[in-house]
Amino acid sequence: MKKGKPYIGFCVGLLLLAMPPLFVRSEYVLNLFLMYFLYVIIAQSWNLLGGFTGQVSLGHSAFFGIGAIVTRLLWTADVPIIVALIAGGAGAVLLAAIVGIPCLRMRSAYFPIGTLALAMIAQITVGNLFPVPGSLSSDYLAGYKISSRYYIALAVAALTVAVVYRIVHSRIGLALVGIRDDEAAAEAMGVRTFRYKIFSLMVSSALVGMGGGIFAYHQVSYYYYAPFELSWSFLPTLTTFIGGLGTIAGPIVGAACFLGLSEIFAITLGEIHMLVFAFTFILVVLFAPGGLMSVSAKVRGLVLKLVGR
Amino acid sequence: MGQTIVYGILNGALYGIIALGIALVFGVMRYLNLAQGSLIILGSYGILFFFHLGIDPFASMPFVGLLLFLLGGALFRASFGRLIAFPEGAKIKNSLLISFGMMLFIDSLATLLWTGDERSITPVYSGWTLGVFGLRFPFIGCVGLASALAVIVVLHLLLSRTYFGKSIMAVSQDHEAASLMGVNVNYTCLISFAISVGLATVPAVLIGLKSFSPTVGIQWFNKGIIVVMLSGIGNIYGVFPAGLFLGIMEAISVYFFGAPYREVTGLVVFVLVMIVFPKGLFKRQEL
Repeated sequence: MKKGKPYIGFCVGLLLLAMPPLFVRSEYVLNLFLMYFLYVIIAQSWNLLGGFTGQVSLGHSAFFGIGAIVTRLLWTADVPIIVALIAGGAGAVLLAAIVGIPCLRMRSAYFPIGTLALAMIAQITVGNLFPVPGSLSSDYLAGYKISSRYYIALAVAALTVAVVYRIVHSRIGLALVGIRDDEAAAEAMGVRTFRYKIFSLMVSSALVGMGGGIFAYHQVSYYYYAPFELSWSFLPTLTTFIGGLGTIAGPIVGAACFLGLSEIFAITLGEIHMLVFAFTFILVVLFAPGGLMSVSAKVRGLVLKLVGR
Repeated sequence: MGQTIVYGILNGALYGIIALGIALVFGVMRYLNLAQGSLIILGSYGILFFFHLGIDPFASMPFVGLLLFLLGGALFRASFGRLIAFPEGAKIKNSLLISFGMMLFIDSLATLLWTGDERSITPVYSGWTLGVFGLRFPFIGCVGLASALAVIVVLHLLLSRTYFGKSIMAVSQDHEAASLMGVNVNYTCLISFAISVGLATVPAVLIGLKSFSPTVGIQWFNKGIIVVMLSGIGNIYGVFPAGLFLGIMEAISVYFFGAPYREVTGLVVFVLVMIVFPKGLFKRQEL
């Protein structure tokens, strides 16, 4: 019974999230949900590499951006969106294979900075190669419907969570966590650490590349370098840390809090919302360093203790 | 070509002095301070404020330096100081997050106070150049190089000749052992953090004399962190040469590939160096 529980929760959540487009007419609300799915995709795929494998990457904007560019170019050339999305994921995997694997050889603080350098190279190069914004032609604009974007984003988000869950709860997941906790010890136990790190990077980049595809499918007009901006690298790091690093629920909760808080502050506080948001963020990191999941575990422990008495 | 290398050296000196502040914090406390770039820009606004009062940018450096030093101490007391007891990996990640929040805070505060417009400090001598052997040396760049060298010499004397410098060295090698030997680790970290923020003054003047806006801090931080990595983590004496190396490489790339790919070349050089010499260009010395 205990084993079936997460699947039931997952299905119920999926059903609930499939409802809004049926009766919500506000484009703003639907867009907000879509952004939430996008955040979940990016954060959860980052979590596989950063949270479970212990390789904190700041280069995810490069994989996100390459997914966006491949999907956009294929989709506007009349390729079905599903195929274009998968191609976007494949593009990200290819980039990860060429440039990410050398970065995996770097240890400790070198890996985040190496991948950050990668993200910056990608951003500047794309900005130089494609200086104009990509807009949709009128045919595509006429056929633009938010609900189809909504469901595809939801599907990819569900796929991401399911894939990461499956991997983490398997033998491979044990190896990944072993690498995170003590790479040398894992290697001594016969785990081929480098192979597993490559595997984790590949899956992570494929998922985040599809997230980029969602971005390209959703936005009507944007500069091609916009999805390469470094904020797309910091976003998954921040949301996962807020939620709880190395937990499946962490990125899901973290993305909701991050998006919710920044939206609420933006609406209610006007000009100073970034100040308040940044300040709140610092407080969360200082007083809940394990993320919100650790706070909820503490609260649960406290409640159980009180009830037990 | 000779002219290109002159500009490369002057830019490289700026990179080196930015990196010095980041390297000091990283070496002693294993903190990654993303907000260093924003603090530099904050310093530039301070210099601009004094400039409007009629004080020369280079003359106002001591005031701004003192203010930044105090601000650094306050920031450490309020936030970073709480991380001292964490294990090394957690320190890097948590300091990254805190300083990210701080960067957002400083940048949006600067936007509110001074708007997002691009500013520049233009004293009378901003266009002066000195001609030697047919090469042009911008006056500001030369004074900048000289002040960077002066700061490095002072820092070196502090680290190698004073008792306090010894305690910084000890803490950077081993927190626990240092505290067992009677070093006040908290105090040492507080002062070295404040010094590193104070070190932002020199780049603040140099960037202020070029041009700046509230959001460019992160770009300068990126330059700085790349230089720190090139020199090798924990190696303070390699930072300045590594900065010159990056500056010269960028300048040469502008000569061959044109300005748009200047940053890319620097970064590619960085990744290649990291793959070939994963511990940095310069051999690790103490601290």
